[in-house]
Amino acid sequence: MEILIYGIINSATLALMALGFTLVYGVSRLPNFAHGALYVLAGYICWVLLHEVGLPYVVAGALALAFVAVVGGAMYSFILVRIRGMSISEIIASYAIGLAILEGLRWGGLKGGTFTLDSFVEGSVDIAGVTVDFQRILVVILGTMLVGLLYFFVNRTRLGLALKGMAQDERAALTLGIDSDRMAVASMALGSLSAAVAALILLPLGSIVVEAGYHVLIMAVAVCIVGGLGSWTGAILAAFVIGFAQILTVVYLGAHFQVVVALVAIIITLILRPSGLFGKQKELEERV
Amino acid sequence: MTRKLRFLVVALSLLAFILPAGGALAAKPIVIGAPLSTAFLYGWDAERAMKLAVEQINAAGGVKVGKEKRPLKLDVIDTRDLEAGVPVSDALLAVEKLILEKHADFIVGGPVRSEAALAAMALLSKHKKISILTTGALTPKYHKLVAKKYDKFKYLFRISGEVVWMLKGEMVPALLNVGKEYKLNSIYIMVQDVAWARALGKIIGKIMGKKGWKIVGHTVFPTGTTDYSMALVKAKKEKAQIIVLAMDMPESAILLKQWYDMKVPALPFGTVLAAAEQPGFWKATDGKGQYTIASVVNAGNVPCEATPWTMKFVKAYEKKYGLEPEGYGTSSSYMAIYALKDAIERAGSLDPDKVVKALESIDLMGVYGRIRFDPKTHQVIPANDPKEGAVGTMFQWQKGKRVVIWPPSIATGKILLPPWMKAGK
Repeated sequence: MEILIYGIINSATLALMALGFTLVYGVSRLPNFAHGALYVLAGYICWVLLHEVGLPYVVAGALALAFVAVVGGAMYSFILVRIRGMSISEIIASYAIGLAILEGLRWGGLKGGTFTLDSFVEGSVDIAGVTVDFQRILVVILGTMLVGLLYFFVNRTRLGLALKGMAQDERAALTLGIDSDRMAVASMALGSLSAAVAALILLPLGSIVVEAGYHVLIMAVAVCIVGGLGSWTGAILAAFVIGFAQILTVVYLGAHFQVVVALVAIIITLILRPSGLFGKQKELEERV
Repeated sequence: MTRKLRFLVVALSLLAFILPAGGALAAKPIVIGAPLSTAFLYGWDAERAMKLAVEQINAAGGVKVGKEKRPLKLDVIDTRDLEAGVPVSDALLAVEKLILEKHADFIVGGPVRSEAALAAMALLSKHKKISILTTGALTPKYHKLVAKKYDKFKYLFRISGEVVWMLKGEMVPALLNVGKEYKLNSIYIMVQDVAWARALGKIIGKIMGKKGWKIVGHTVFPTGTTDYSMALVKAKKEKAQIIVLAMDMPESAILLKQWYDMKVPALPFGTVLAAAEQPGFWKATDGKGQYTIASVVNAGNVPCEATPWTMKFVKAYEKKYGLEPEGYGTSSSYMAIYALKDAIERAGSLDPDKVVKALESIDLMGVYGRIRFDPKTHQVIPANDPKEGAVGTMFQWQKGKRVVIWPPSIATGKILLPPWMKAGK
């Protein structure tokens, strides 16, 4: 039973970590390697507003979300727009921005394990004899809600449909008057917002540390590669595959193999099906 | 005439006022190079403690070298050796930079990671630099190598603890004590996947197994683990009464939060548990770290009355930095500067061979007890009584305070069990 419960929690955690990354890539084909840094930045901004400025949790959280969304949009407007379409340059530039943010935070004093956010709800509950804390249950609930919200946004709102149009066929979307750069800014802001939401939900479980930025990036990349770059359904399915594989590894092989699971999943996917479970961009090459 | 006289009186009084310190400050400073991993607790607390000691010594006139009083100058360099993925060679380059570019007369502090400290031994010996290790490196191999190749490594000392004594002299007796008091005898070992922690987990399991304790589980977590639920579920299932922890990663705070949320009926007995050492741990875990036990290696890193100097040091640190000494590496780094001062003054010179002899014969009642070095291994002589040697400290978080629970000679309280845990029968 504990495998099922903690497998679901772990999968929801991975899905939350990866959603923003897959959203940006899915819409604007932009590999945002600053994703992990934005995650940590959101947590740190919220911590500063909460503990240094003394704002209420809700206000601090909302301001942190808004700030990170603006940072994401600005990253595209000022830097990434200049190298748009050059994948390698996009990876290098976004990773460099991420490095600058993370190491800048470390330089500015984000050291040690004392930077933490309070849990939304305290306490725990026994589910079929397995003790689970409320914050972890919230991870599953809020993770599901976030997926639902993003799905609704992309499929039911004007901006979302424009983003979807860009993802499907950029040229056709351009002919219909959809501004490619504006949509990329919107997707970066939305992706960064997703990273920030994930941070505010997940960081109360641990501490705000610079290393979390690198960890989140690796997990997001693993989930997206296994699921198929840019595919939402694939990302969620991959989060469950990797999430359960990790828990099973901990139980049957040992916790120290846990970290290898995501990396092995990347290698296996790249060998067997380079476009991932639901990816489409390489299907032709694969067939050939 | 009156104006000239007044000027002369003022000038002379000013001179008389600043001369004692001014004399030392005008002399060439003695440069202390400190290679530390400053992004981590064991680095930044050591840096702060050394700065405090240097300031105090300089304010008192400096170090007497022969007939001359000379000030100390601290040069800190970030070795980054506690950061994941940073190669040992980077730490060696940092040490070399301190010697060749900063012209350090002495090296105090790190390298902090055992692997880097061991690798730096040959380099320090090549340059005949006296080095006093104060933080991070706990490996017994360090002082064993000094004893084995004394002529080569005689310049190397360690003023902080090492893992064999910590295990046999502190942790195992403390475990047996809590076992006897509350009738506990089953252990679940949870350690980080790094050399020292794996070794410590293995040895403690072996020793406690021989003493008749049940080892109900042993989990090794990779560095950076953020979810410990499965191991905690297992510990609960296997009815572990004590969880022995050995981790220096900040994420170990997550384990303790999960332990609290899941109400695991087992006492978290940290050996080296960096996350729990800092005074900020209580606030960071929102009080969920209550009942956690951890070692800070040397006394003085948590307030107690080990010697008359202990609380003086604690208060001076609090005054300067606004918080209590933070953990392992603080009192030992502070003490190393004073030990060096004592040795230089007795040697009357900065000549490394003379200072080595002076350090070998040091006998100083310091912050964490009597400071003496074993003349063969150059390891500080440990003890459980501060009158006999350097004492360690294990503490437990109780109501927001770090209460010293081991050794009994300096304890300020006794171990408490969490309310959801019952004593054994």
